[in-house]
Amino acid sequence: MPPVQIRIESHTRPPTLPRASWHSRANTVVLAWAALAVLALLFGEGLGLPRWLPVHLFLLGAVTNAIVTWTEHFSVALLRMAQPTARMQSVRLAVLNAGIAALIAGAVALSTTSGGVPVLGTALAGAAVVAGTVAWHTGWLVVRARSAMGGRFAHVTRWYTAAGLFLVVAAVPGAVMLFGSVSSRTHEQLIAAHAHAALLGWVGLAVIGTLFTLWPTLLRTRVAEGSEKTAHRTLLPAALGLAATVAGLAHGWRWAAVAGVLVYAAAFAAATAPLVRVALRRRPHTAASWTVLAAQVWFAVALVADAAVISLVPAHEVYTVLRPYVPVFLVGFTGQILLGSLTFLLPVVLGGGPERLIRNSGLVEKWWPARLAVLNTALLLTLLPGVAGTLAWVAVAASVLAFVVLAATAVIRSGHLPRPSATAMGATAGAAATALALMLALSGGGTSEGVEPTGRTRTVEVSLGAMTISPGTVSLDPGDSLVLEVVNNDSQPHDLRMGNGVQTPLLSPGEEAVLEVGVVTGPLEGWCTVMGHRAAGMTMNVVTTGDDVALADAGGTEAGGADAGGEEHGGHAAHGDTSGGIDPGGEWSEGWEPFEAALEPAPGGEVHEVEIVVTESESEVAPGVRQPVWTFGGTVPGPVLRGKLGDVFEITLVNDGTMGHSIDFHAGSLAPDEPMRTIAPGEELTYRFHADMAGAWLYHCSTMPMSHHLGNGMYGAVVVDPPDLPEVDREYLLVQGELYLGEPGGAEQVEKIAAAEPDAWVFNGSANGYGHAPLTAEVDERVRVWVVAAGPSSGTAFHIVGARFDTVYKEGNYLLRPEDPGGSQALDLAPAQGGFVETVFPEAGTYPFVDHDFRHAENGAHGYFEVEDR
Amino acid sequence: MITAWTVVRFLHIIGAMLWVGGQLAVSLVVRPLAARSLDDKNRATMLTAVGKRFGVLTMAVFLPIQLITGTLLAWGAGVTWESLAEPGYGRILVAKLLLFCLVMAAASSHGIASSKGHPTLARVLALTSVFASVGVVLVAVVLGGA
Repeated sequence: MPPVQIRIESHTRPPTLPRASWHSRANTVVLAWAALAVLALLFGEGLGLPRWLPVHLFLLGAVTNAIVTWTEHFSVALLRMAQPTARMQSVRLAVLNAGIAALIAGAVALSTTSGGVPVLGTALAGAAVVAGTVAWHTGWLVVRARSAMGGRFAHVTRWYTAAGLFLVVAAVPGAVMLFGSVSSRTHEQLIAAHAHAALLGWVGLAVIGTLFTLWPTLLRTRVAEGSEKTAHRTLLPAALGLAATVAGLAHGWRWAAVAGVLVYAAAFAAATAPLVRVALRRRPHTAASWTVLAAQVWFAVALVADAAVISLVPAHEVYTVLRPYVPVFLVGFTGQILLGSLTFLLPVVLGGGPERLIRNSGLVEKWWPARLAVLNTALLLTLLPGVAGTLAWVAVAASVLAFVVLAATAVIRSGHLPRPSATAMGATAGAAATALALMLALSGGGTSEGVEPTGRTRTVEVSLGAMTISPGTVSLDPGDSLVLEVVNNDSQPHDLRMGNGVQTPLLSPGEEAVLEVGVVTGPLEGWCTVMGHRAAGMTMNVVTTGDDVALADAGGTEAGGADAGGEEHGGHAAHGDTSGGIDPGGEWSEGWEPFEAALEPAPGGEVHEVEIVVTESESEVAPGVRQPVWTFGGTVPGPVLRGKLGDVFEITLVNDGTMGHSIDFHAGSLAPDEPMRTIAPGEELTYRFHADMAGAWLYHCSTMPMSHHLGNGMYGAVVVDPPDLPEVDREYLLVQGELYLGEPGGAEQVEKIAAAEPDAWVFNGSANGYGHAPLTAEVDERVRVWVVAAGPSSGTAFHIVGARFDTVYKEGNYLLRPEDPGGSQALDLAPAQGGFVETVFPEAGTYPFVDHDFRHAENGAHGYFEVEDR
Repeated sequence: MITAWTVVRFLHIIGAMLWVGGQLAVSLVVRPLAARSLDDKNRATMLTAVGKRFGVLTMAVFLPIQLITGTLLAWGAGVTWESLAEPGYGRILVAKLLLFCLVMAAASSHGIASSKGHPTLARVLALTSVFASVGVVLVAVVLGGA
C-alpha cells in the first residue's frame, strides 16, 4: 500500500479518547490470549504440547486479564472512584502478562523438556508475579473503594476483593503441584482444590459481582430494588462456603467440601433472585444478554453436578470424575460470560460517536443467533464419545473463532492499533509456515549421525503406576526400533511422552496404548505429562548399550514396580572408577560416631508397634567420604527390631523419600502382594508379622531393582530371641553391607552394583567405623555378637582375630554350644543370612574383628574390640 | 563421478534457485526500481507483466521440472509411502512438500488477487510466498543432512 493512502486515512479517522484506547489495548490482550487458547486446542496435541495448556491460556491469559480490566472499570464507573493513572494501568498490564507468559511457558517446559531449576524457577516466579499483581489490583480496589463515594454499589468491590483472594488461594496448590513432590492421592486432592478456587472463586465471584450491575445494563433497564442488599448478604456465605470446599478438597474432608459447595450454591441462587426479577421485567433481547443468560444456566447446572460429584466420590477422585466436563464448563460459563460482556462492552469502549457505536455493535453481533445456537448445542454434543464429540468441539471452536475474528476486526477498524504493513503480514505468514514445517520435520527425533537402523524391533510392556513407571529403565542396542505397550495400572489418568516427542493419549485407568518410539540412537527419557507427575517420579529411561551417561534422575531408575526385575541395565563397557576409592585408615569428621552396635534386650510386651520413615539423606560412610544414602529411619542399617519368640510386629512404613520404596521382613511369613508393595512418596502402609521363628533376620527394601535399594543402604535387622537364650555380659549387632559410591542410580554406581564391585564393605553402614570407635568389653566377660549379612552381593566370614567362638548360632540353629568340645573360627553367612557367635576374651588388648574374606576386610569390613581388665 | 543422478539433482537445485531467486529479484530489485522510476500507470502495467511472465515460466518450466526431478530423487533415495510417516528423512520430506504446496497456493492466489484488483492482499501473498520459499530451501538443507 502506498504511504499516501495511510496519511489520507489517518485524517478521516475520528479522534479517540485515551480511555477508549486503553481499554481496546487491554481487550486486544484478552483476544490474543483467547486466540492462542483456540490454536492450542486445535493444534496443541499434535505439537506435543500439554493437555492443560488451552485451559490455562484461556483462564490465566484471557479471563484473568478480562477480570482485572473489567473489575477496575466497573469499580471506577460505579463507585465514581478516581481513575488509576494510565502509567499504572500499563505497568500492571505488562507485569501481569509477563507473569502469565512466564508461568505458562515454564509449566509447559516442565512437562515437555527435562525441566531443571531454571524452568521450575521461571514457572514459580510467573505464578508469584500473577498472584502478586492480582493482590496489588485487589488491594488498590479496596483502598480506593474506602475513599470513594461508594453508596449503593460498594458491594461490587467487595465481591471483586473476595475473587482476588481466591486466585491467590488457587496459586498455592498450583505451586505445590509444580514442585511435584506430593503423593498421587494428595496431588489429586490439590488439583480439585486448585480448580474449585480458580473457577468458582476467582472467576465465579468476579462474575456474580459484576452481574448485579452488568445484567440490568445488558437488558437496558434499571437495577432491581434490593439488589444491593442481596449482593451484600450473599457474599459472605458464598466466600465461606467456597473456602470450606477448597479446604475440604485439599485435605480430603468430604463432608466439609459438600457442605461448602451447598452453601455456595445457595448463595448463588439467592444472588440470582434480583437478576431473575430484572429479566422478568425486561426480557433478554440482545446478543449480549442471551449469551450471558446461557452462561448463567451453564453455571447453575455445573454447581448442581459439582455438589453431586463431591458428595458421591472421595476428594482424591473428584477431579478425575470432573475432568472431562471442565472444558465444557469453561466454554459454557466462563467463555460465554466473556463473549457476552465483550459483545456489549467492546463497541462502547471503542467509542467514536453513536454512528461508529452502531457500526461496531452490528459487527460484533453479526450472525449472533446462529453463533449462540451452534455454540450451546455443539457444547452439549461434545459429551458424545468418538468422532461426534470431536466434530462438536470443532463447531464450538469455529463459533468462538468467528467472534474473535469479528471483535478483532472491530478493534482494528477503530484504528487503535497501528495497522501492520502488508510486507510484515506476508513475511510473518511465510516465516510462521516455515517454522511449522520445521517443527514437523524435526519431530520424532530423527536418526542421528553414525547410527544405522539395525532393523530389529524391541517390544516392551510399560506399566504406569502411582507416580512410578515400570520398568524404570529399558536398554537396547543403538539402532533398534522400540515399541512400548503402555498400560495404565493406576486409579488415575496418566500418559507417557518420550524425549523424541512421541506421546500416548491420556490413558484412563486400565486403558492401553501402543507407542511407537521409532529407531533409538541414544539415551531417551520418558515421563508422564500430567502436571506434577514427572517431578513426583513418573519417569523412565531408555539407554543404549555403550552409553556412558547418567541414567538421569534417580527416580526414573529406581521407582519401577515389581515387574521391573526382568530388565537388565544398559551397557557396562567400561568400569568407571572416578570415585577415587576410600581410605579406611583416614580421618573421620570431627564428632562423627558410628551406628550404635550395642544391642538392647527385647522390650516387654507382645506387640511391637514401630513406625519406620523412609528418608533419602547423606551420611559419612567412610573416613571423610559423604555419600547420599536411602534409609529406613535415617540410619544405615535401619532401626534394629528385637522381640521374643511369638511376638507380633506391627510396622507402619512411611515413604518420605522422592521415589517408590517398600519393605520385606524375612522374619515374617505372609503373601508379599500387599505388605511388600511399593508405595509412592507420601504414602504409607502397615506390615504386620508374627515372629514365630527365632533367628537373626534381614529386612530390606524390595522395590526393583533391589540391588540399588540395598546397595544404597535400605536394609536392617530383626532379632527374634531363641527360647531360653542365656543372658550374657555384652551383646552387639553388626549388619554387614556394601558401599557403592556415586550418585544413587547414576550410571557409574549402577555399573558397579551390576558388576558386584563395591567401593567398600561396611559393618553397620560405615567402612572401618569401629576401627575409629572400637567396641568395648572386659576380660572374662561373655560377649555375644549378632551378625546379619545384607549383601546385596557378598556374604561374610565373620572372625575375631585372637578369639575363638564357643557358641555359634546360625539361621535358627545352634551349630556349637559351650559344652561341646570343639570351637569355631568364623561365622559364614550367605547374603540374607544371620546368626550370632559368643566368645570370652582371655586378656586385655585390641582384638580386630573382620570379614575373613580379606578383600572385604581390607576395604572396610574391619573394626576393633578394645578389651580391658576388670 | 557424473551420473544420471547428478543431472537430476542439478536440475532440481537449479530449478529451485531460479524460482526462489526470481521471486527475490522481483521483490528486492524490480519492484523498488519500478516504484522509483515509473509513474503509477506504467508501474502497474509493468509489474503485472512481470508477474504474468513469471507465472507462465513457473507453470510451464519450473513446476514440471521440480515435480519430475523431485519424484525421481525420492524414488532414488528409496522413499516409500510408508517411510513418509516415519521420523527422520520421510517426515522431513513431508514437511518440505507441505510447505512447497503452501508456496504454490500462495503464489497462485497472489496472481488471482492481483488480477482482481486487491493489491494489499496480493502483496501479503507475495511476501508469504517469498518467505515460505526460502523456508523450503531451509527444510531442503535439513533433508540433505538427514
